[in-house]
Amino acid sequence: MNDMVINVKSVSKAFDTRNVLRDIAIDIGTGQAVLICGINGAGKTTLLRIIAGLLQPDIGSVKLCGYNIRKDPEKAKSQFGMISHKSMVYPELTVLENLSFFARLYGVKDSDANITELLQDVGLFSYRYDTAGILSRGLLQRLAIARALVHRPALLLADEPFTGLDAKACHHLITVLNEFTKNGGTIVMTTHDIDIGLQCCNRVVVLDKSNLIFDASTSDIDTAKFLKDYISYARSET
Amino acid sequence: MRYFWLSLKAIFIKDIVTELRAKQVLPTMIVLGMLIVWVLRMASEAVLQSEAVIGPVALWIAFLFAGLLAQERSFATEQQQDCIYALLLAPVDEGTIYLAKLFVNIVLLSIFEIIIVPVVIVAFRLNINNWPALIGVLLLGNIAISSVGTLFSAIVQLSRARGALLSILVLVILMPMMIPATFALLLVFGAIPPEMAGTGALAFVGTLGSAVGYMIAFDAVFVVACWLLFGFAIKE
Amino acid sequence: MRKILLFITLVLLLASTWMALTKGRIEGPSANPDSPVRNIIYAHVPSSICSLACFTVLFVTAIGYLARGNESWDHVASATAEAGIVFATVLNATGSIFSRAEWGPWWTASPRLISSAVLWFLYVVYLILRSSLPGSKKRRARVCAVFAIIAFLDVPMVLYTARFMEDIHKPSFTFDNLWQRGAFIMGIVSTMLLAAMLIWIKTDILKIKSRLEAE
Repeated sequence: MNDMVINVKSVSKAFDTRNVLRDIAIDIGTGQAVLICGINGAGKTTLLRIIAGLLQPDIGSVKLCGYNIRKDPEKAKSQFGMISHKSMVYPELTVLENLSFFARLYGVKDSDANITELLQDVGLFSYRYDTAGILSRGLLQRLAIARALVHRPALLLADEPFTGLDAKACHHLITVLNEFTKNGGTIVMTTHDIDIGLQCCNRVVVLDKSNLIFDASTSDIDTAKFLKDYISYARSET
Repeated sequence: MRYFWLSLKAIFIKDIVTELRAKQVLPTMIVLGMLIVWVLRMASEAVLQSEAVIGPVALWIAFLFAGLLAQERSFATEQQQDCIYALLLAPVDEGTIYLAKLFVNIVLLSIFEIIIVPVVIVAFRLNINNWPALIGVLLLGNIAISSVGTLFSAIVQLSRARGALLSILVLVILMPMMIPATFALLLVFGAIPPEMAGTGALAFVGTLGSAVGYMIAFDAVFVVACWLLFGFAIKE
Repeated sequence: MRKILLFITLVLLLASTWMALTKGRIEGPSANPDSPVRNIIYAHVPSSICSLACFTVLFVTAIGYLARGNESWDHVASATAEAGIVFATVLNATGSIFSRAEWGPWWTASPRLISSAVLWFLYVVYLILRSSLPGSKKRRARVCAVFAIIAFLDVPMVLYTARFMEDIHKPSFTFDNLWQRGAFIMGIVSTMLLAAMLIWIKTDILKIKSRLEAE
């Protein structure tokens, strides 16, 4: 039985004349929380977008829970939620309206009870009638998480989710992510805040000049040393 | 199938609610439309005997330019907070997104028409001898500009000269339709008496039926084509 | 191979021009029989055929690109649009001159002139779209392909809409002799060859440019 949540096979991508990803292959299983590191231009966001189906690879394929994102996009897209540094919610709609909208898009049944529970989980229940446009950055990110999880996916993709968050909001996000993994969810995250990322991930992957150069479980490495080595590597590259 | 209707309805309602709350485009469209009508009215003061001819022309011009504003809004609102990606990430067919936004644009333009037609009638002292025909012709024009505009709005969203580029794209495609559309309105407003239709009055040949038939064919072709091509336009 | 074809094209163009202006010369309108203006038909009709043919090629390459994603389709599309607008400009200019000489005004709302004008506008807007889209080359190619397909669907719309206008200016001419017919056909063939050569050369230039940028 293939319990691979994500199956990336020989993915390559070039933008005009620039190679961004070269023959990337990675398998991610249930319960794994993967941190993708790399300096700017290494291909982290591109890889995440290809996994999410927002970009098509030039070569290669991506399967999410067994569904090919290109051939079976509707089934594949139902398997995951995504957050990024932009909240992807509508400022004119209230918190509740935003979540109801996305629940309907994902075909969620009994969405009202679901949404109430979700709002309580992320601590937004008291803000449910507020329009998203007036929420602070931290609260917006909570709404974004709720949006991503409204259909209870098995997989969460996070592209630079800690950008612009204060310490409190960061801490809240880390808690949510850890809770998600504890309940059997799978996470793939990119972030420049490696030290924060390491707090909620159990596997680290490094991309460098469009190649995958490092892939290890955090239990197999000395994370403090990894962090130090990574910072000096990043400094020398920029 | 049921899922298709659910997502279509969801996106449609979402767009209508956000537009009504933002109150950005609709008031601007209406004011722009009225200004165009009155400017043309002032400019044609000297030739008021042909107001039955200028009136329909003024109506189409106001309609086109206000319509362009509505089209630009379609995807401009999705640009904030990267909401367009939220739509693309969802298990919704791109064609469904197109259809929902098409219906939103048709509704917004219809609201505009309800307000602007009386203004034109008053400004140019027009008489309408065929209300159903007027509504039908305006609806067909509405569908034409909305179908093409919704598709092109997705195309120009990244461009800096978004409004200007959208205008030239939409207007060039709609150019052919303006002849039968104007002809139809001239008949409806009595500038060409019905008994004279098809005889070459005002250099037009054809009948109301043939003009409406053309507009129906135009709409059918472009709604289908734009719906099919939308997926290519929206992707990165 | 290309040099030979270019030579043939040039020869045919010169031959058809010579034939048109000497042996196949068309008489002017009855008011001014010595006027050479009606001979503009030898430039007008081939331009019309070529500009429509280029549009069809543009449509085919658009579909080809959307179906296959191969950059070559886009190169051909770009080259064809540039060739097409040249012919569309000649078409409008010659049509306008003809209108002025035959009937008085530089332009009237006659079906042919309307169709020519819209065709020209479609080309211009396509080229503006090509040059003003930000983002990757792939996106630009894809978006231009989408517009090319919509624009092509507009062409029959244009031809039908022209029927709503009274065509009081029906140009009618018949060929009096074989020279005229020959010059006419040769003109069409040589212009189409010219169009093909222009597209071929420009496509190659674009391919080389693309390869250079990749290195």
